[in-house]
Amino acid sequence: MNTINNSQHDHQEPRIGVYICRCGGNISDVVDVERVAEVSRHIPGVVVAKVHTFCCSDPGQNTISQDIQAEKLDRVVVASCSPFLHELTFRGAVQRGGLNPYLYEHANIREQGSWAHKHDPAGATAKSIRMIAAAVGKLQYSTPLDQIRLPNHRKALVIGGGIAGMKVAADLAGRGIPVLLVESSGRLGGRLNQWNRVFPTDTPAGQLVTKLLAQLDANPLVEILLNCKVTAVTGFVGSFQVTIEGPLGPSGAMTTTQTTIGAIVMATGFKPYVPDDGEFLYKKDPGVVTMPEFIDLMRGQPTGTGELVYKGRTIRSVAFLHCVGSRQIDGVHTPRADGKINTYCSRVCCTTTLQQAIAAKERFPSLQVYDLHQDIRTYGRGHEDYYVRAGKAGVVFFRYHGDEIPRVTPADGKRPAEPSLHITFKDYLTWGEELTLDVDMLVLAVGLMAGDIPDLINMFKLPVGEDRFIQEIHPKLRPVEISVNGVLLAGTVQGPMNIEETLNAAGAAAVKASAMFLKDVVELNPYVAQVDTDLCQGSGACVTQCEYDGAIAMVETQVNGKTVRQAKVNPGLCVGCGACVAVCPTRAINLNGWRLDQYDAMVDGLTAEIPEVAAATS
Amino acid sequence: MVAMEKQIHTDVLVVGGGIAGIQSALDMADQGFKVIIVERQSSIGGQMIALSKVFPTLDCASCITTPKMSAAAHHPNIQLMVNTEVNQIETIGAGQQVTVTRKATYVDPEKCIGCRLCEYACEIEYPDPFELGLGAIRAIAIPFTNAIPQKAVLNPDYCTTCGLCARACPTDAIDYAQEPQTFTIHADTVIVASGFALNSLNVKPQYNAAQSKNVISPLTMERLLAPHAPYGRVLRPSDGKIPTSIAFVQCAGSRDETIGVPYCSRVCCMYAIKQAMLLSGALPMADITIYYMDIRAFGKGYEQFYQNAKAMGINFVRGKVARIESAPNDDMLLHVELTEEAVDPCRQQRHDLVVLAQGMLPQWNVSEHSSLQRESDGFVASPDVINPSATNLPGIFSAGTASGPKDIVDTITESGAAAMAARRYLHQQKGDKNPDLSTDKAAVHLVQRDAGEIRDGQTVQAGL
Repeated sequence: MNTINNSQHDHQEPRIGVYICRCGGNISDVVDVERVAEVSRHIPGVVVAKVHTFCCSDPGQNTISQDIQAEKLDRVVVASCSPFLHELTFRGAVQRGGLNPYLYEHANIREQGSWAHKHDPAGATAKSIRMIAAAVGKLQYSTPLDQIRLPNHRKALVIGGGIAGMKVAADLAGRGIPVLLVESSGRLGGRLNQWNRVFPTDTPAGQLVTKLLAQLDANPLVEILLNCKVTAVTGFVGSFQVTIEGPLGPSGAMTTTQTTIGAIVMATGFKPYVPDDGEFLYKKDPGVVTMPEFIDLMRGQPTGTGELVYKGRTIRSVAFLHCVGSRQIDGVHTPRADGKINTYCSRVCCTTTLQQAIAAKERFPSLQVYDLHQDIRTYGRGHEDYYVRAGKAGVVFFRYHGDEIPRVTPADGKRPAEPSLHITFKDYLTWGEELTLDVDMLVLAVGLMAGDIPDLINMFKLPVGEDRFIQEIHPKLRPVEISVNGVLLAGTVQGPMNIEETLNAAGAAAVKASAMFLKDVVELNPYVAQVDTDLCQGSGACVTQCEYDGAIAMVETQVNGKTVRQAKVNPGLCVGCGACVAVCPTRAINLNGWRLDQYDAMVDGLTAEIPEVAAATS
Repeated sequence: MVAMEKQIHTDVLVVGGGIAGIQSALDMADQGFKVIIVERQSSIGGQMIALSKVFPTLDCASCITTPKMSAAAHHPNIQLMVNTEVNQIETIGAGQQVTVTRKATYVDPEKCIGCRLCEYACEIEYPDPFELGLGAIRAIAIPFTNAIPQKAVLNPDYCTTCGLCARACPTDAIDYAQEPQTFTIHADTVIVASGFALNSLNVKPQYNAAQSKNVISPLTMERLLAPHAPYGRVLRPSDGKIPTSIAFVQCAGSRDETIGVPYCSRVCCMYAIKQAMLLSGALPMADITIYYMDIRAFGKGYEQFYQNAKAMGINFVRGKVARIESAPNDDMLLHVELTEEAVDPCRQQRHDLVVLAQGMLPQWNVSEHSSLQRESDGFVASPDVINPSATNLPGIFSAGTASGPKDIVDTITESGAAAMAARRYLHQQKGDKNPDLSTDKAAVHLVQRDAGEIRDGQTVQAGL
């Protein structure tokens, strides 16, 4: 049995503090926290066990920091929520108390205790005690660890040259950080190049692109690569090795560039929903168009004709149908090829539709304009004005239910003067009456879908959400970060957003990148594999098992004058998954902070004979 | 004692210590800049710290707010000035001169150790503002459990100067003669994160909120639902009865030109859905109805949240409530046209607790304190289409609900963007003199040029 090493205070026996959080009542409404504290005091090594209403609050954290000094604690357990929320918070508190932050363990007695066993208070209490016993056991074998410090290359890569990517690049370069902006098409501006005017200011979309382009052009720190793609990436936060391919030379021949990057911002945007052939007669009837197609059509209309003309036909009436490809309902809508439906709201379509409806009505006063919606979601600043203005301009509104999709059928008559489409639906502004509209044109207000970036998803191991967009760590705590360290999200790669929200998201991503470049090193958590060179026999099983390229490799080294092959870990690439630990035939690999002896101690803690646990369970 | 004018320098001054101000401050401080957060209340945390759980993840609000509050309080680059109001922001050269007044709290924050002995000794109680009057607080008290900083504050409106607190205080921190103090802060840049207020419950007289204690604010419902709620359960205010039929009246202070708030307040649909979900957990037998015009569940995961609520059996009824009348037993009668009902759509629906979705207004009128421009909605104007957090004044930026209604997710993102905009501005102003890589930026960056001393990382102390 190991003894505790490297204890920061000079004690023979460990002095462990246990802090049990009520979480307001989230924990203490179910778990008998006072009892947990009482029992915890009897666990060997524990000298303090206290209950606090919010351990994460300032007074809660201060209690821990002060106890470390006053009680000469050398290790700390906090039993509270998921470590995902507050492990870092409490490491900070422990560090402020003067301890190595890794002499800390987190017991999740909320998600795995009070919430999981809401209807079994005694069982939840007993489980909480066991989890604390396991954490205490593990801590007995913990050693101080230091963060891994790696060089930080002061250069950012922005993937995607739409408005989000341009904004990130302008922000970062505007505060002194070299930026490489890679765009797969031949032009910056992304989807903005397709739009006409942006709400709520009705500023021409091109003006936004021009303004950002001017900022990028004026800044020598910005390097723009058009028609280029990121084709490979290795390395880790602070030093990513990125390969970019594209026709760089004047001849247009394919060129490959490699560069070292500190942080990467994904700004690859979205794609509009494309209806299936025949969905609302799309592609079956020439009068059915999507919103991007309608915007394009409006832009192409010659000025001053007084009539909207499309494919040689005069359009006298147009209906806008909201929520095409959004807010879909299981069992009502047909799944896409991947078996999923788009349950989410695309956020921008309502205001876009009203903006276009007004534009159509103002441009062609005799045009009859209808709007079929479920809810009008003009939530943003200035958006509600479009709704009011559309009503005043004479747009006629109808309201349908999401599970009663309007039916679109071709009109019988094929004479050019007749409307080509019938739209049949139940209108809930007139108490569910079934109505049929005859229109010349139907505009499908299509939603936003995640962009097609399978290569980037594979390359960066990007986390994909249920809605296919890239998933942030937490919408409030870490809204532009993902589980891949050093890779940030900007804009609609993350989900539907309008221009203003995209610009803000880009700014938020830029500020996180900016903070990463404050120091010339990056600091990573120390939970990586470590090879015991005395035990490693060079089987290579670990290298075969490892899923992270370059995280562990066989190297030649000198042992007692002989050249042998042994495993070596690259701490920047190792994610600490532990796969190598499991396959090593000589148990030569351990995970720092999660060593095998620590697991043994945790199991001992979980299964220990604690009379109080028996009493609590009985 | 004559109030003393003190001069302070900082890189960034953040007006408001709510979630927006905290996030902007953290993002500036993490980039190496010295930040002062000026907060008029006794604690940072803003409106968010008083909420129950937050959509769409249903995390408890404290669980998200307290770590950010704590991170700000412990950040070596951030100083908190609580109980402090901003009087005037004036552009002088490339920087901003901000005069602020620290209100008298009658407790020397330098001496107060947050032990609460004064609070325990005090015999006067008054309706607790943090609990929106649902509970009581002593005339001298720490504002609430997870307040930051943990410093007692005395309320002179209720204090009888009996002296019990002064005798109980172990550090002699009580100072009945404390005066307000005015400081001048020279900031290179300012971020306005002054937040929102709700319009009055009585803004629509036809809802008769003044006549019934059971017509409540959504913020009161937040307190009733909080994990550390004043009653520990949901009880209606008039008689402590467990409500059995709860109505949410949406757009009760927004999207209504008759009350001067034509815009959408953006968060009400989602918090009503969230409160309805929490209520159906707390009161499984209660009927819960949401009367609405449009459900605006637009954000990431919001529509799915709305559909879950429908599946849970919450009644979503499309119809604008016209009038609310008192009914026997402290109940309310809602006159509503149910626009989707074919037969007899004009109904009277009885409920025993009603939540009015009040509209969002700006908390602080920036025009009275600066040359900042406002839009017709009263919120700070955002004239630059490619830089939404920029204002009409160079060097001053806005974050969060200061520039219009916003939910927490969008507020946090925008606060990051405001910090980035401020960061760029400082780079423009100072060229390469940015704090990068010079980890040892002068520790005493914050210089108080007059008497007294200000320490890094602590609440600025104005008491003498």
